[in-house]
Amino acid sequence: MALNAPNNPSFRKVSLDRGFRAIFLRSVIQIVRRPLMWIGFLGLPLFLFLFFPSMMDEGLPTRIPAAIVDRDGTQLSRQITQMLGGMQMVEIAQTPQSYTEARHAMQRGEIYGFFLIPEEFQADLLAGRSPSISFYTNTTFFVPASLLFKTFKATAVYTKAGVAVDVVQSVGVDPQTASPLLQPINIQSRGIGNPTLNYGIYLANSFIPCALQLMILLMTVFSLGQEIKYATSRRLLRMADGSIVKALFAKLLPQTIIWMVLALFMAVWLFKYNHYTMQGSWGWIILSELMFVLACQGMALFIFGLLPNLRLSLSASALLGILTFSLAAFSFPEESMYTAISPLAWLTPVRYNFLIYSDIALNGNPVYYARVWFAAYIVYMIIPFTDMYRIRREFREAVYVP
Amino acid sequence: MIKRLKNFILGLFDVYCREFRLVISDAGIILFFSFLPLVYPIIYSLIYNPELVKEVAVVVVDNDRTPLSRELVRNFNACDQAWVKGYAANLDEARRAMAGKDCFAILEIPEGMEKKVGRGETAPAVLYCDMTLLLRYRGFLVAATNVMTSMGSELLTQKIDEVAPLAETVVSGDLLDIENINMGNIRGGFDTFIMPGVIILILQQCIILACGMAGGAKRERRRLTGYNSDNMARSILATMLGQALCYLTILALPIFFMIHYVPLIFSFPMAGNTLEEVALILPLFLASVGLGFSFQAFVTEREAVFVNWVVTSLIFLFLSGLIWPIYAMPQPWKTLSALCPATWGVEGFVKMNANGSSLAQVSNDYINLWILTIFWWIVAYCVQRWVVRPALRREVKAGFQGPDLG
Repeated sequence: MALNAPNNPSFRKVSLDRGFRAIFLRSVIQIVRRPLMWIGFLGLPLFLFLFFPSMMDEGLPTRIPAAIVDRDGTQLSRQITQMLGGMQMVEIAQTPQSYTEARHAMQRGEIYGFFLIPEEFQADLLAGRSPSISFYTNTTFFVPASLLFKTFKATAVYTKAGVAVDVVQSVGVDPQTASPLLQPINIQSRGIGNPTLNYGIYLANSFIPCALQLMILLMTVFSLGQEIKYATSRRLLRMADGSIVKALFAKLLPQTIIWMVLALFMAVWLFKYNHYTMQGSWGWIILSELMFVLACQGMALFIFGLLPNLRLSLSASALLGILTFSLAAFSFPEESMYTAISPLAWLTPVRYNFLIYSDIALNGNPVYYARVWFAAYIVYMIIPFTDMYRIRREFREAVYVP
Repeated sequence: MIKRLKNFILGLFDVYCREFRLVISDAGIILFFSFLPLVYPIIYSLIYNPELVKEVAVVVVDNDRTPLSRELVRNFNACDQAWVKGYAANLDEARRAMAGKDCFAILEIPEGMEKKVGRGETAPAVLYCDMTLLLRYRGFLVAATNVMTSMGSELLTQKIDEVAPLAETVVSGDLLDIENINMGNIRGGFDTFIMPGVIILILQQCIILACGMAGGAKRERRRLTGYNSDNMARSILATMLGQALCYLTILALPIFFMIHYVPLIFSFPMAGNTLEEVALILPLFLASVGLGFSFQAFVTEREAVFVNWVVTSLIFLFLSGLIWPIYAMPQPWKTLSALCPATWGVEGFVKMNANGSSLAQVSNDYINLWILTIFWWIVAYCVQRWVVRPALRREVKAGFQGPDLG
């Protein structure tokens, strides 16, 4: 049997051959000769791999545009302005004259927050009238606002400390004795595995596998549905001597190989090339990625078995795949969701991929703690066998309804 | 001239009517037009609706065991964000609890903390945080800062009193009040932050997916079923306008539902003027239709939109600057982001909806949306003229046939 290029005239002859190898080759050819398949199997996944780490190259956005409203205009308030301006996270983009002006700048989106020093600030402070400084952050934009909050708060606390030193000094305590008093209680936060709060580590490690899962679901269902749509499913079954397991296995094997290569590349890209935290053993991560691919394919097969119709199963996969970005609790913790919704977090394989990543790569835990997640993958590999008979029935009898 | 104009309008109207019938009888497109704008925002909002991450479990390793250390733990537990689940004998035990996901942070209090504080030295406690989810970490950080400042200023006043009794006369009560105000998203909730932007993204994707599927249907129908569902006026522009108007008619109510009722149901901020918001959505709609017509070049069959386009929602979400601010993106992504209707739509809508900006204040976004409308309609015109129409003509010549899958 010749290995056929797509436009080889002997293609038809080969495709009529029976057996595992013939189906496998046919499947390869189906992939190779359609640009759409190139986009789905390579173009989009690779683009997404590149997209997240390169967008979050900086790790954290620095120099967030902000403003300071100095209504006091004294030496002290200017000191605060200077201190704030020297902070790494902040870029003092404007110095509005009033609260209203600053709020308008925020409404126009020019700044993400502002710091307000009231009138008579210094005088009140020295007179012990306990003035207040306030800062406003536009929490509508979560990430810049959170970072601004941190910086503003630090500035305010430092200011307070400085004032306290002045006060203690004014009654005759030397500053050396005074300074340790400023922060008697200190809690240092240490982020395990991501000390610099790199947003890329946090995001890319969950969203890229989830995007891969979405593509695997869609492409698997799409390629199976095509057989029904173009009424070639009967020929496929004949080639597999009527065995649906053989037919599906041979048809999906080339895809499995593509996805596995992509998944391994993903692991290397994230942990080796981008140097994202990898504290555990490579062996388990690689095993996880390979099983993840099989689990996703299993899930896709299961969905197709439930809804053996190209458009319905594609719609269901798209719905599930996209919702998973939120449902799988990559940003909002599963235990904080509504009781009725949180079980759905465990619905798709990527949740287990994420937990294995978190356990092994990020936190460096022994694999013992990830044992259940690995077992979950196996469930996804088994469930398609429960409704495979439906695919067989549909492959035999289907009529495409546009 | 007048006759040509008349023909143009008649053609447009013809296309409008026929497109209506085509859409209504196409279950796939109806699914996009109904399910996406009506059900999706609800499901999404429900997922994030608890808004805040509260009471995340912490395990304490207290090596000091003094009144001060207990007070620290009590104060930490009193924070909204944290919940002290229990004490561990040592760090090893605590780590095992964290590995088993029984807690997400460990608070380690050093030996001799109270003594050191009494001597006027600092003794830092350490909070080891799990970094899997940043929301949990953020909560811990806020809790730690609050405990630090509140206990700190208490101790400070005590200390000042000790070392310099006279200072009491200078300072009564709190030295300096620090106030933090959240604007727009007042509670700092996650749902309120992400949903208004996502609504706009859903709208854009709904329009583009529907345009794509409609284009795919026209291209494959004749091939598969022999049925000619072409819907073309002589003028390409009239065809495009007719179809766009048809989609606008169908989507008018769902759009209103999304920008008015969804925020109402989930009590998101509604600081904007709804009419002005509608005015902002109009160019967003038109630009998205333009992008959708251009996208038709890549859709050879209806289902291809799923493979080609669904995953781009993710790309648009991040390009929109909702999560990662645009000014911090590398230049190529900034450029790409500027070409997406949703980018300006999200920014404009979020500012209006949450910050109460007027249309004039978001004029930058508004003008950019109109520029994008013109840009994408020119691209769409070219695509329709040189890609889609010739392809349709080829299908006519080829006649009815199934493709060869081998």
